[in-house]
Amino acid sequence: MSAQIAKLARVLVLLVVLGGLYVLAIHKHEQRETLRRADVALTPGCADKLARYGLVAGEHYQSPYVLAKDGVAAKLRGYTQPDVRAIQRGCNIIDDTQGHFARDTGLERWNSKRFIRGSHTSCDHCHQGIGDKQDAEGNRLKGSLSLAASWAMADMYDRFTGLLLPYELRQMQCYINSSNGYKPNISDDLIRDVTAYSRFLSAALDLKIGNHYDEQGVDEIAASATVKQGDDYIRGEALYKDKCQSCHGRQAVGTVADGRVIAPALAGPNAWNMQSRNYFYYVSTILPGFICRNMPLGQENTLSNQECRDIAYYISNLPRPAGDRQGPLIALQNQFLMAVMPPLMRLTESQTKDPAPAQHAAGAR
Amino acid sequence: MRLPALALKDKAAVAQYWPQLQGHLALGLTLALVTLPQAVAFSVTLAGVPPHFGIYAAIWGVLFCSLLNPSRVFHGGPNTAMSATIGVTLLPLAPPFGAEYMGYALTLGLVAGLIQMAFYLVRPLGRMLDLISEPVINGMICGIGLFLIFKSITTFGGLPLNTEVEWPVWIAWQSLLAVLEIGNMQAIQVGLITLIACVVVQQFARLRKWAILIGIVAGTLYSEYLSATVGLENTLIEQIGNLASIGLVYPSLPLFNQEAMPDVIALVPGAVTLALLGLFQTVAAMRRMNRKVGGYTDSRKAIFSDAVSNCLLPFLSSLPTCASFNRMWLVNQLGIHSRIAIASSALWLLVLVLFLAPLIAVIPMPAMAAIIMLLGANMIQWEDIKPHFKDRREAVVFTASFLAVLLLDLFSAVLVGSVLAIAYSKWAQAHPNISLRGNVLKLRGNLYYGSLPVVESTFHGAIARTRDLIIDFSDCYYIDQEGIRWLAATKTKHKITFTDRRSGSERRQGERRVTGARKRIAGRRRDRPDRRQRSEF
Ligand code: HEC
Ligand code: HEC
Repeated sequence: MSAQIAKLARVLVLLVVLGGLYVLAIHKHEQRETLRRADVALTPGCADKLARYGLVAGEHYQSPYVLAKDGVAAKLRGYTQPDVRAIQRGCNIIDDTQGHFARDTGLERWNSKRFIRGSHTSCDHCHQGIGDKQDAEGNRLKGSLSLAASWAMADMYDRFTGLLLPYELRQMQCYINSSNGYKPNISDDLIRDVTAYSRFLSAALDLKIGNHYDEQGVDEIAASATVKQGDDYIRGEALYKDKCQSCHGRQAVGTVADGRVIAPALAGPNAWNMQSRNYFYYVSTILPGFICRNMPLGQENTLSNQECRDIAYYISNLPRPAGDRQGPLIALQNQFLMAVMPPLMRLTESQTKDPAPAQHAAGAR
Repeated sequence: MRLPALALKDKAAVAQYWPQLQGHLALGLTLALVTLPQAVAFSVTLAGVPPHFGIYAAIWGVLFCSLLNPSRVFHGGPNTAMSATIGVTLLPLAPPFGAEYMGYALTLGLVAGLIQMAFYLVRPLGRMLDLISEPVINGMICGIGLFLIFKSITTFGGLPLNTEVEWPVWIAWQSLLAVLEIGNMQAIQVGLITLIACVVVQQFARLRKWAILIGIVAGTLYSEYLSATVGLENTLIEQIGNLASIGLVYPSLPLFNQEAMPDVIALVPGAVTLALLGLFQTVAAMRRMNRKVGGYTDSRKAIFSDAVSNCLLPFLSSLPTCASFNRMWLVNQLGIHSRIAIASSALWLLVLVLFLAPLIAVIPMPAMAAIIMLLGANMIQWEDIKPHFKDRREAVVFTASFLAVLLLDLFSAVLVGSVLAIAYSKWAQAHPNISLRGNVLKLRGNLYYGSLPVVESTFHGAIARTRDLIIDFSDCYYIDQEGIRWLAATKTKHKITFTDRRSGSERRQGERRVTGARKRIAGRRRDRPDRRQRSEF
């Protein structure tokens, strides 16, 4: 008899749990639906960018950028109110992935933080200019990881796996490839809104679908494009201390002030992991390419190819998180190194001459 | 026509056996109906291959095994753990459902079959299977059960799968959140209805064997209702799809070429896991179910039957086969133990898919996912686990292999669990029970290089205090060469006596034995002739 009751109780518990989850699902779905309909509070960067590109709902869309550049602009099909909101949310996600400007940090960015471990990464750090980097004259820059140009190249063969990947899948991959994250589900609003934004950018810039533009991806630097001295840790370390440490901090763990990221981590717990394509030992051409075109901030294009490779090599030798597929043992080992190495290095450096100004040591986390 | 030739020889004999045969055929149909959804679900949601792979495994795999395996309760066919292993092994190599992926799946099956053949041909290898202890197997089974539940969450919520393999625990959490936030509500409803129908029906002993079928019917009816009212183009619920292309046989070739070689080599650890998983389950399930019905089958025959089947199946577009615990349980419960019934289930299934394909095509995937979750949950049986927590060592081994499935992979789980289990038993052997009463030092256990230091330490403690020490070997079962040399050396240096209260013939017999347990049995049966010498081993 008591066995019967126990059985009944088990089934009831199961039913209650399932019912509870179902109700929770309904609630979460409704929450999302309200947010999809709500007005979007833009980040300052996005407010500026979208106003410049004249994004408003309407019958037709004419790009002010193209009008200013060529004198004429085609009349494209316009955007509905929901389209506009999706584009605005997408822009916010790229500009402020961590949700510093959001009232509700999680939901307003479709929980983008959940897919990134570490508190630094924002898409805009690498896809600069909110995915559309331009110089003062409004020229788009070679190797600036433009999201507009990537959207124009709708399907692309992945050069490592050989798979034909649409823009959405490439976007999902970047959560793993360029940070220390998980892939969001392809039908998540997170993916859809960023796609909407990228697509809008390519319309505003008048990019033609299927074309390859120079601003897509990184202007990669192979070893053959250097003076062929080999990648050197010592040179890289010296260069890093000279040119980058003032912003990115000792051991490249990034600089944070008042909870805001001043310069993101290039190593340590908040940086991309060992299975990312920014990791030198995995793909050795991407990180140097990024550094040469985009860093040091404010003095871009001042480093030589050899210098960029040396710095990238040095950065990649600093401890960082393991990739998910490397298993728990390597993950543990790397966690240990990340905890132990920075203080150890500080100790040994303070024994010798301290090359870095004191103010930056204070900023380093 | 479907009956074995034997029965056809004599029409009168057929008439005489007809009532019995009827029972067999009914059991066959039940088994076929139970196998079908499993076959489809395993291939689509676990292995990542089209449904006909699982269906052919349920037809040809079951048929081959029933012909080759003398056990009367053995039901082969597609298996959860094996299908999951195929998915886990192949996902990093190629996108699922693609031609290349299917080729690799067949190659994987063939390599596993060949490895199993090696286990048959090399006798000690086959014996090794018996050394994998129960806690290891149960730990793995529980881990796989949980893994199945995790893996089905996305399909349950009607979401596309992420193809990248991450740690299952992370996937599970992320997928659960995704289903809650962006899952297809109608798909979730279909899944829930299937799940609840199954669980409720399972509570009635008489209906239990129909639970899966009723669940699927309920889910399918609801999904059909939705399609009729809202339209499939709006619900966007994925369905199994058309099986009409399935014919009698569907020949296939495993992928072996120069270009694929590096990947084929990368498959080998997966193939070893697959082969071992199959054999473990076959040997373990057969041992357990045979004992239940009071029969006995040489496990070598089962290994042979699995190996031959798995070498043939890759050429018939089929998943590999091994024993199925849940279906064998069903055979046992229905009370008909016959190879004819089991063989007929394969042929029934063939008939079903040949003529009922359009019905099967509309089964919704979320319903399938719900069934897989339930099967996963059923693999975690508290009654099987509980005994392991009574003993600390077993608990550690169980927990280690369970966690290893979730954190590492199946192959590491076998390694971690077995290494721990062997280490424990070696540790126990290395610590013989030594007691000192008066001047008698009694040794219970083995005297060999591992235990010698322990024995030495007690011996030297005793010799310092006592003169005329007597060492009693009555309960010592095994002494290795190092032990003999040590005994000889101590005998010359100290004044000690060796005794053994057993007779000379007994001792000689004892020396041939390796383990203590057997010796103890032999000791008790002193007056009876040793039956083991007549057994076929
Ligand atoms: C650490 C730098 C970095 C960060 C942060 C980063 N990305 Fe990327 N992203 C890259 C690089 C480098 C590539 C090019 C990879 C390649 O060529 O294989 C890339 C490629 C892409 C692509 C594909 C572009 C193409 O042309 O194929 C998309 C889409 C993308 N990223 C989106 C994002 C999103 C969304 C985020 C924010 C969650 C993000 N990225 C964050 C560095 C970054
Ligand atoms: C003036 C301060 C400054 C200097 C100097 C500087 N950086 Fe940066 N770096 C930044 C900022 C700020 C960002 C974030 C990008 C943005 O917001 O535009 C950044 C981003 C990066 C990123 C993208 C990383 C990520 O996690 O998103 C890399 C890589 C990088 N810097 C490397 C370097 C290297 C190498 C040097 C030295 C050659 C260097 N930086 C010098 C400020 C600086």
